[in-house]
Amino acid sequence: MSSIIKVEKLSKTFESKERKKGQRRKLKTVQALKDVSFEIGENEIFGLLGPNGAGKTTLIKCLTTLLLPSSGKAWVNGYSVLDEEDSVRASIGCMLMGDRGLYWKLTGRENLDYFGALYHVPKAVRRDRIDKLADLLHVKDFIDRTVETYSSGQKMLVAFAKSLINDAPILILDEPTVTLDVPTARELRTIVKELNESGKAILYTTHLMHEAEELCNRVAIMDHGEIIALGTPSELKTSLALDDTLDLEGVFPAKAVEAVRALGGVTRIAMKSTNGGRTSLSIISRSGGTILPQIIEALMHNGATIEQLRPKTATLEDVFIAKTGRTLDVDTRQIVVQRGEPGGGP
Amino acid sequence: MEGHSHGFGLASPSWRANLDVVVTVLIVRLKVISRYKGSLVMEMFLPVVFAAMPILLGVAVGGANAGQYFQANTGTSNFKLYMLIGACTFSVVSIMLWLVGYWIRREQETGTLESIYLAPARQVYVLTGVTIYSLLRALLAFVVSLVIGSLVFGVNLLEGNVLGAIGILMLGMLPLWGLSMLFGAFIMRVKEANSVINVMTWVVSFLMGVFFPITMFPPLLRWAAAIFPPTVMNDAMRASMLNLSTFFGSWYISLAVMFAAALTVPLVGYGVFTFTGRSVRRKEGVGQY
Ligand SMILES: Nc1ncnc2c1ncn2[C@@H]1O[C@H](COP(=O)(O)OP(=O)(O)OP(=O)(O)O)[C@@H](O)[C@H]1O
Ligand SMILES: [Mg+2]
Repeated sequence: MSSIIKVEKLSKTFESKERKKGQRRKLKTVQALKDVSFEIGENEIFGLLGPNGAGKTTLIKCLTTLLLPSSGKAWVNGYSVLDEEDSVRASIGCMLMGDRGLYWKLTGRENLDYFGALYHVPKAVRRDRIDKLADLLHVKDFIDRTVETYSSGQKMLVAFAKSLINDAPILILDEPTVTLDVPTARELRTIVKELNESGKAILYTTHLMHEAEELCNRVAIMDHGEIIALGTPSELKTSLALDDTLDLEGVFPAKAVEAVRALGGVTRIAMKSTNGGRTSLSIISRSGGTILPQIIEALMHNGATIEQLRPKTATLEDVFIAKTGRTLDVDTRQIVVQRGEPGGGP
Repeated sequence: MEGHSHGFGLASPSWRANLDVVVTVLIVRLKVISRYKGSLVMEMFLPVVFAAMPILLGVAVGGANAGQYFQANTGTSNFKLYMLIGACTFSVVSIMLWLVGYWIRREQETGTLESIYLAPARQVYVLTGVTIYSLLRALLAFVVSLVIGSLVFGVNLLEGNVLGAIGILMLGMLPLWGLSMLFGAFIMRVKEANSVINVMTWVVSFLMGVFFPITMFPPLLRWAAAIFPPTVMNDAMRASMLNLSTFFGSWYISLAVMFAAALTVPLVGYGVFTFTGRSVRRKEGVGQY
């Protein structure tokens, strides 16, 4: 594999002043990246999967020269991000910060033309390319309206088009589907796949495990500034095969969860509430299917109602749970119960 | 790893590509402002209103003799034109000084500053586009407000050397550009524009002697004001249009001071600006708002 992005022990520490009422300002440091190393092949769609605050955007900002790393090195398209920034920038098409980054008083087309010029794309080429992109992304209807009139999904699509205006060999997308509706998001992923097939390397961040699973050749799972697992989605999932996962849905009183936790062989439990007051419970155990009857018994004896039971195939989210004891979806309220040996969690 | 050279802008950009950046940035600035028409019109009338205050005050306090008293202090009795030039120059100075700062701040807020830093175009060309824009805007505001003012207050603009004054204005733009870079760097760092500009506007208008000769300052302040480039410019423009002597006594010294400022201040300003850009990137990134 010839690599188009190479990252070596990249670290980034932020300093910020914390203000608390009645106290003097304190300098607070956040280590957003800790010794991150990986490589991306030139034909790959490489996924960065991680919860909010994992450090995905910080990593992208370091790769795109918006931020200088505190230590470590990285090369993009063969150029060092530390001292060949112009060539690095010219090698990347990037979509950061979702629907921001457009001029509201300009039309979508004017925005694209402007940024095309900043990438040194000749005028005639960008005129053609904007037309092609408008077709490809179905934005023709609104591309000649000022951006202030757009919905956030429409801004997102134009921002996506902006990342394609320089037709760079590397495309970096930071949660590009975050405000898109389901069909549009699916379409965007299809386009990303096609762009990859036409020869672009793609770095794609998301906190949606199904996106990473569906789209990416390889995935790095990030948490607290570190890569805690890296491999193809199926590699990552088979690494879990020793541990069996079980998904339950229903109503689970705390007592019942405690009882399951007390069973030997249960390594992790993650619980999150779903709509309608029900809860889903992910149980990862070491002893495979043999423990299932015991789990069910422990639950039923302690007043739990089981509505669904799925002895499921592992997902990337389970990999994350197995490593950290938390679910990826940090927006939902969650109770985390950890047990057993410290398996790489914080 | 060998380089995979495709993608635009990988080779060093041609002069045409750089020119394209300048022109596109300029056109976009003009398009954006043309979509805020109200503020442009305001800009033309504001200096007239600004000048009206001291002119009316002068008439109220000095009555028919206002001009005489004024002549004793300034060397001209034409206090109306004196005030009008001050107000119009001040409006040029504030457009030039704050434009980069306001521009940086707005781009930070909309997230477009990050997009600009993502692209390989050199900062200097983007800034050149923005500067040409502010220059056009400042000159337009100057000429239009001077003409409106002369009609409103009934003064004759052509008494003195108008062309000379325009020349001085052009020369004075260079240090203003440098100062505006310094100020833009400051805004990039503190990530706040409005309150800073509100305070600085008063400081600058005071130091410039918009409505009075700086010879009225106490010595220390007088010399501090005298090397502040906008003050020198204002002083020289009045000297030219009202046939006065300059603060420094001779033409040559004023011109020499202006040339010196035109050479040094932009270099310092651009240096500080790029240095700040890099240091902000080392810390929290340019786009944090
Ligand atoms: N300018 C900054 N100053 C201080 N801390 C920062 C700064 N930028 C990011 N951080 C911190 O660095 C950590 C990583 O942030 P980052 O934005 O990279 O996360 P992320 O993985 O992109 O999350 P999300 O999914 O929410 O976008 C967070 O703890 C964040 O608060
Ligand atoms: Mg992020």
